[in-house]
Amino acid sequence: MINRRELILLGGSAAVLASAGFARAADWPTKQVTVISAYPPGGTSDIITRLVADLLTAKYGQQFVVENVAGAAGALAGGKLARSAPDGYTIMVSGSAPIAANKVVQKSLAYDPQVDFTPITVVAESCALLTASATAPAKTLQELIAYAKANPGKVNIGNPGAGTKGHICAAMIGMQAGVEINHIPYKGSPPLLADLLGGHIDFALDAPSNYLPHIKDGKIVGVAVTTAERVSEMPEVKTVAEQGFDGFEQTLWFGAVGPKDMPADIVDKIHTAIKEWTDTPAAKEKLKSLGLAAVVNTPDEMRGSIEREIAGIRPLVDAGLVQPS
Amino acid sequence: MDIFNGLMLGLSTATTLSNFTYCFFGVFLGTAVGVLPGLGPIATISMLLPFTFGLPVDTALIMLAGIFYGSQYGGSTTAILMNLPGEASSVVTTLDGHEMAKQGKAGRALAAAAIGSFFAGTVGTLFIAVAAPVLAGLALTFGPAEYFSLIVLGLVTSMVLTSGSLLTAFGMALLGMIFGMVGTDINSGFSRYTFGSANLLDGLDFVVIATGVFGLGDVLANLQNEHARAASVAPVSRLYPTREDWRRMTAPILRGTGIGVALGILPGAGVLLASFSAYAMEKKISRRPEEFGKGAIEGVAAPEAANNAAAQTCFIPMLTLGLPGTATMALMIGALVVQGVQPGPEMLTQQPALFWGLVVSMWIGNLLLLLLNLPLVGMWAKLIAVPYRYLFPLICVFTAIGVYSINNNVFDVYLMALFGLLGFFFRKVGAEPAPLILALILGPMAEEYLRRTLLISHGDATVFFTSPVSLGILAITVLLLMSILSPHFRKVREEGLQEAD
Repeated sequence: MINRRELILLGGSAAVLASAGFARAADWPTKQVTVISAYPPGGTSDIITRLVADLLTAKYGQQFVVENVAGAAGALAGGKLARSAPDGYTIMVSGSAPIAANKVVQKSLAYDPQVDFTPITVVAESCALLTASATAPAKTLQELIAYAKANPGKVNIGNPGAGTKGHICAAMIGMQAGVEINHIPYKGSPPLLADLLGGHIDFALDAPSNYLPHIKDGKIVGVAVTTAERVSEMPEVKTVAEQGFDGFEQTLWFGAVGPKDMPADIVDKIHTAIKEWTDTPAAKEKLKSLGLAAVVNTPDEMRGSIEREIAGIRPLVDAGLVQPS
Repeated sequence: MDIFNGLMLGLSTATTLSNFTYCFFGVFLGTAVGVLPGLGPIATISMLLPFTFGLPVDTALIMLAGIFYGSQYGGSTTAILMNLPGEASSVVTTLDGHEMAKQGKAGRALAAAAIGSFFAGTVGTLFIAVAAPVLAGLALTFGPAEYFSLIVLGLVTSMVLTSGSLLTAFGMALLGMIFGMVGTDINSGFSRYTFGSANLLDGLDFVVIATGVFGLGDVLANLQNEHARAASVAPVSRLYPTREDWRRMTAPILRGTGIGVALGILPGAGVLLASFSAYAMEKKISRRPEEFGKGAIEGVAAPEAANNAAAQTCFIPMLTLGLPGTATMALMIGALVVQGVQPGPEMLTQQPALFWGLVVSMWIGNLLLLLLNLPLVGMWAKLIAVPYRYLFPLICVFTAIGVYSINNNVFDVYLMALFGLLGFFFRKVGAEPAPLILALILGPMAEEYLRRTLLISHGDATVFFTSPVSLGILAITVLLLMSILSPHFRKVREEGLQEAD
């Protein structure tokens, strides 16, 4: 049996341990760090999360363990991060939906990304890629619009989740061309790709990584990229702007954030490590093979990226083209 | 690259000292987590995933794959000796396997499971080598409509093969579907049945529920008659099947292998459906259906062959298309992608050593498993032949650790405890929990595919009948339903499924 004195001693040492565990930011990291991934394994966002966890492990010698918290277009992961302690032992790396878009496209979001998160840095960006199955009725954007006008309500475009960039871009194209588009949400990229390869859905708008090898194999067709410039990994695929949508430009970005009030020097340490890694030729090559480009900005610049993202989506929600749910 | 050169390349990759060692480590660990209820391959693989980042990619994949199919072997040991499925896919093995053990035929049941698994593993591995490239096209013919029909077939099958009244089975399946609906709706993002709890937003994890119902529920049920039963771990008798056993199990192993190979390829079907289907089929075509549930060796050999065949062939969609058919395969893709390998059609040509090395290592792993699980079964039995007073607290601890390790969430542990009580209640009222668990997995998938089919077809439900594959599957489902509704077959089913509980 433990007597009272031992209990007090025990409690005291526990308190000492706890305060040691709270670790001055200068010593960070002194234990395992959780890196939240907002989507199931295998998709682009998860790949980047794992790359970042890997580079931080290599740099700081502690294990950075990826935890997949998938569901509700990243809102579950965002909620989990918002409820975490800002001690630097829980961060999130993900596509922009849980860091920005969810604020306007989800009615009952349990957190406010602009208040509850500490921006660290954007890590990489890419185009969103519109692809067509081998049996699709249109292989270019003009053909797709023409087909949609001739067959109102018949065009289905799959996206990796309601409120993701793929969904937003498809809604923007529909709004600008004045055609009706049915948005078919999937649970991440892999099942959407499967249906596209099997010809069960005609079009998909998603991050490019999973689709690139299949375009090279000729199993699916690259219809358009949403960036201002064509993408070097698939130079034959025209931009949306080139195909009659002057000035159309949408970029998909992936970034790292922590809970609000995370100490500035920990933010700085993570930022520095990511910056150093993205400057290496190996990292550039790796990201390029995934159809991504390394883009590291400052926490303040990232705050701006978040603001612009939200501002860009609001009109779509106001016009009723993206239903907040 | 032709098959012969491929296999030679695979042999040279798989037999390097480090790959062979990690293959052994994988299947050894797989058997251990398979034997221990509550700790499954998904939790084990997710825990080991960060560790594999430091390994070469082929070594990492070989080890992780070993854990997965190794657990299929280990799961049957617990199922037979303890009436506790070490893995979900061993649920049906408990029905006849444990009955055989109670009759003093534990060794023969274990042999039937291991030999069936090894044969199926060999065929499954060969099948990957021969058919992986060809089958890429076949898997793609399954769209949302075909998936939905297949899931309906799976649900109906699970009800037909369950003991007890059909109405109870239907009710359990319905309850499972309702539990499956808890969480955030993927189409609209609305939360359903969450009662404002953030812990329920992500839905009920099937591993948590299954561990509670099967693991804890069993512990509770066994506690009640602790005095009546001397030891619940059956002693292992002679390990060699009799001539009669061989005669009875050869055809079921062949059929089970066929079902497993076929269902393993379909993304989403997985090993669980394979073992259920194989069991249902054996019972349907057996000349002795009344022996099922009372220690029929066919009821052990066929589902064990099926789940191991499926455990091999479910790698096909992952390796050839980059599509994760199961949660485990999703983890494998994660392991590959982080290492810079994109699973997909080009992997066979760009990473031939990886593909063929994995295929050959799987066969080596199956051979190791046969050796690990038959001659050394005594060692594994010791692992579970601990007396109840040690074993029950151990199971509780292991299930709690296993469940906690999935999401690092204490809520899951409470949830498991709750479902443990519910599992005990189900046993008391004679309601078989298997359809509930299957519906919990298949229900949300059915909803997802149904809604996607209708979204794509703009609300036109005739697509389920205009697709030949979907129509064929639905026709089989209707036949199955009609057969159990007709008085004659109903009588056969009731006699066949009556099981001393």
